[in-house]
Amino acid sequence: MKRLAALVLVFAMVFVLALGGLASANPTKLTLWTFIHQHARFYQVMTEKWNELNPDRQVELEATVLPYDDMHNKLQIALQSGVGAPDMCDVEISRFPNFLQGVPQLMVLNDAFAPYVDDIVPSRLGIYSKDGNMYGAPTHVGATVAFYYVDILEDAGVDYRDIKTWDDFAEAGRKLKAVHPDKYMGIAETSAGWTITAMLAQQGSDLVSSDDQPQIDTPEMLRAVTVLQNMVAEGIITTCPDGQPDTEGGKGFLDQGNVAGVIMPQWFMSRYLDEIPSMNGKVAIAPVPVFEEGMPRSLGLGGTGTVVTLTASDQDLASAWLAYAKLSEEGNRMIWEDLGFDPCNTALWTETAMTHNPDNAYNQYFLNNVFDVLNEVKDEIVMIRSSSISPTINNYVTTVMLNELFEDMLDPAEVLEDAQYNIESQIF
Amino acid sequence: MMRKSVAFLYNQKVAPYVFVLPFVLTFLIFFIYPVITTVQMSFQDILPGMVNNVGFKNYERLLGDRIFRTAVSNSILYTLWTLLLLIPFPLVFACMLNSRSMIARGFFKTSLFLPVVTSVVVAGTIFRLMFGEVNGSLMNTIRMFFGLGPIKWLRVRETGFAAMVLMACWRWTGVNMLYFLSGLKGVPPEMYESAEIDGANAWQKFRHISVPLVKPTIIYVLTISIYAGLAMFTESYMLWAGNNSPKNIGLTIVGYLYRQGWEQNRMGYASAVGLVLLVVAMAINLVQLRLTGVLGRERD
Amino acid sequence: MEFYSRRNYSLVARIVMVAFFSILSLIVFMPFYAILLASFKPGEELIRYGLNLRFDWDLMSLANYRYLFTGITRTGAYIAHDYLLWFKNSVVLTVVQTVLTLLVSAWVGYGFAMYRFRGKNFLFTCVLLVLMIPFEILMLPMYSQASSMGLLDSIWGIMLPYLAHATTIFFFRQFLTSIPKDIVDAGRVDGASEYGIFFRVVVPLMKPAFSAMAILVGMNSWNNFLWPMLVLRSGQKYTLAIGLNTLLTPYGNNYDILIAGSCFSIIPVVILFLSAQKYFIDGMTMGSVKG
Repeated sequence: MKRLAALVLVFAMVFVLALGGLASANPTKLTLWTFIHQHARFYQVMTEKWNELNPDRQVELEATVLPYDDMHNKLQIALQSGVGAPDMCDVEISRFPNFLQGVPQLMVLNDAFAPYVDDIVPSRLGIYSKDGNMYGAPTHVGATVAFYYVDILEDAGVDYRDIKTWDDFAEAGRKLKAVHPDKYMGIAETSAGWTITAMLAQQGSDLVSSDDQPQIDTPEMLRAVTVLQNMVAEGIITTCPDGQPDTEGGKGFLDQGNVAGVIMPQWFMSRYLDEIPSMNGKVAIAPVPVFEEGMPRSLGLGGTGTVVTLTASDQDLASAWLAYAKLSEEGNRMIWEDLGFDPCNTALWTETAMTHNPDNAYNQYFLNNVFDVLNEVKDEIVMIRSSSISPTINNYVTTVMLNELFEDMLDPAEVLEDAQYNIESQIF
Repeated sequence: MMRKSVAFLYNQKVAPYVFVLPFVLTFLIFFIYPVITTVQMSFQDILPGMVNNVGFKNYERLLGDRIFRTAVSNSILYTLWTLLLLIPFPLVFACMLNSRSMIARGFFKTSLFLPVVTSVVVAGTIFRLMFGEVNGSLMNTIRMFFGLGPIKWLRVRETGFAAMVLMACWRWTGVNMLYFLSGLKGVPPEMYESAEIDGANAWQKFRHISVPLVKPTIIYVLTISIYAGLAMFTESYMLWAGNNSPKNIGLTIVGYLYRQGWEQNRMGYASAVGLVLLVVAMAINLVQLRLTGVLGRERD
Repeated sequence: MEFYSRRNYSLVARIVMVAFFSILSLIVFMPFYAILLASFKPGEELIRYGLNLRFDWDLMSLANYRYLFTGITRTGAYIAHDYLLWFKNSVVLTVVQTVLTLLVSAWVGYGFAMYRFRGKNFLFTCVLLVLMIPFEILMLPMYSQASSMGLLDSIWGIMLPYLAHATTIFFFRQFLTSIPKDIVDAGRVDGASEYGIFFRVVVPLMKPAFSAMAILVGMNSWNNFLWPMLVLRSGQKYTLAIGLNTLLTPYGNNYDILIAGSCFSIIPVVILFLSAQKYFIDGMTMGSVKG
């Protein structure tokens, strides 16, 4: 009786396997969550390309766009409880450390990435890794650059190419103020840390120390925030609605032509194209000003690491598809052409057919070519540290500290001391 | 067998248990179990794929956590402000509406009541935009009308908090007024008349007749206001379009629980936050119910 | 309170009070008016110049509402959105949840009001206990609970924990204790079963209590935010409150539909309220105060 049962079972399994083999021409459904519409569109395009190349491993992608907070919260709880997670998910860099704590409930992607890793900037893979295991596929380098509104700078007799240091930046601001008293040279962010982080990186510092401790109350930080606060006090730069450029209010503020210089990662150029129409043909891109010439002029900021969850239905297919979509040369090409981001395959940065394509909408919008700038600073691009304490630090810096500095104009030394103390009280 | 069990269910002694069964099930599944789990989790560090018992550590951490202190003081302050504004004023309004020389009572009742039917999501959006920092926002227009410069309402502690309290007043004044109106209905008009004969003025009538007679209503409104104040979250969430208000102006205890548990993935720590709130809410409410005598009466 | 009796009736007092309440009503109406006005203006205008009372015919049009109902944007392009779906979901959820909550809670309330049984006081204290604890504290384990019961992403997940709703049970119990027990005993004499009495004798008597609570429960359900946000996952199932909240992303301009959508979502509730105002006000005040 038992033997018969075993026999039936074996037959059944063979049958199922055979069926599976036959059915492989049918697309396998993969689910993916993201919080950006453009990403969903990009993934669909890459799925078409994948299906052309892999007739026997067809993919049907179901990409759902959820609000930022909501998506991360739900993924977190779904992974915790082991039910309800999608096969793949975009995880924003500042939330990523939460998912690497304990035993990550994510697929190790080393094997899937192996065919492509040699072309990819290692630090961008490293930021989504733990103990030598890669868990996330990066989207872009996110090299920080300066976006200048050339028309009003010319009114003030400023050539944006001459702005090399923060002193130059402040001086340009003073000239601008003389001509356009209602315009500002830049934005002091209060709900994001783009500029602050860039200024720290220039001095070789970071919000997190190499031994995973918060380092807020440092001379480097003091120097950075003092420079910014002085410019705010002088009226050269200003805080903006919603606290930073990459928000509804911030983009509206830029669209009104209020600001001459914006320090943002390269990917912000896609926001110009989509949501800041009035600046078309008026903006040039340049390296970020530094404290002293010779300091590194760029760092990679922002980004999403796409993960495959441990509960994914077809883990192998999902990882292979993901690696292809985001790390292959075709994928990297699309990341620039469709999304307007600086791809992690930096070899492509010098391929002029792609980078200087005159039909490219991004190239048409801006006065100069972004890759000329990127290639200039390529070897200076620093990477920030990301650790399990980063979410706690970021939260405090972007809700409390920067507001105290640039809205309330409190004494920087005291604010930093306070911040260090308060953040430490939350870390354990 | 079947018939027997049906007959059993129809027994007059068994029927009450069948009636209360849905509550008992809900109570066990969606109350007792979560409470026990919360207590248990508050003694743990819960990380993806691993759980460690840490004893009272989460509670020790709470004592040293300065942001938690901000959240607690915000919640208490918010509750106090709502008590201060949402009890005396609606009570006076109710007395005025109840006055015999008042006309168009129904209309005013309705118009003051209307805001509460808007959801917090919509109300929060309206207030966020009204208190916008751009020059043309409603509140800045009003300031400019009086010759004052625009300010960033939601970024300054005082004005941000005021916006939050104001939104609560906008939504709840009418409701509390209705409660008081119904309390006043029980006051016989003869009492006022005889007071007048004795020469009492409006204030004396208010102080010595109305207030004592609506005292049970006042205590009831007090209780629900404390409860709602301590549990406040969505109002702040919508007013700042997210849980992270500048300088944590609008961070409440529940907001902190949400931040720690959902946003920062520290469920054990969040559970400890929740239990602190649970104990506080229960203590306050038990005192309240004792005062109103509801609990006592139930025990016959 | 009566400031003035009929004998020394004062016209001045009446004028002062009417003026006072008129101003108060105006202030209360201002946000409504502002959002109504804004719903006719382009979303960018709102972000750049804020929500205000400026009446500007050139800016105002029905474009937002056209987008809301047809998906055709200001520029004439068709962009699909789920507003109408969210609206439908909210209506379905509200109706189903209200009907079921009333039935289940009345059922339980009847048990508490009409019977003497062992453990009754203990159980009723439990009802009060639930009344006292903010749900938000328990949301983490409740979520895992709902998740392990397979209730996520369905309206059952939203409703089930609240069908035996403590506040509603409490209210119905208060209401039912005022009904004379003789009616129930008469039913028994006529040979009706315990449950038959409930459905045939008691439920018809509860009509005023039902209509009062229907509006309260319905309003809570229509406006419920946090729990549905945790439970629901697919955009196809979102309710209005959650759907509108998803429009608050920094990516893409959603203010056209957000404001018009918010404005339009107020309308059904206001109509419901105005038409059932009497019951509503009775309901608010009936159960609560008597303790």
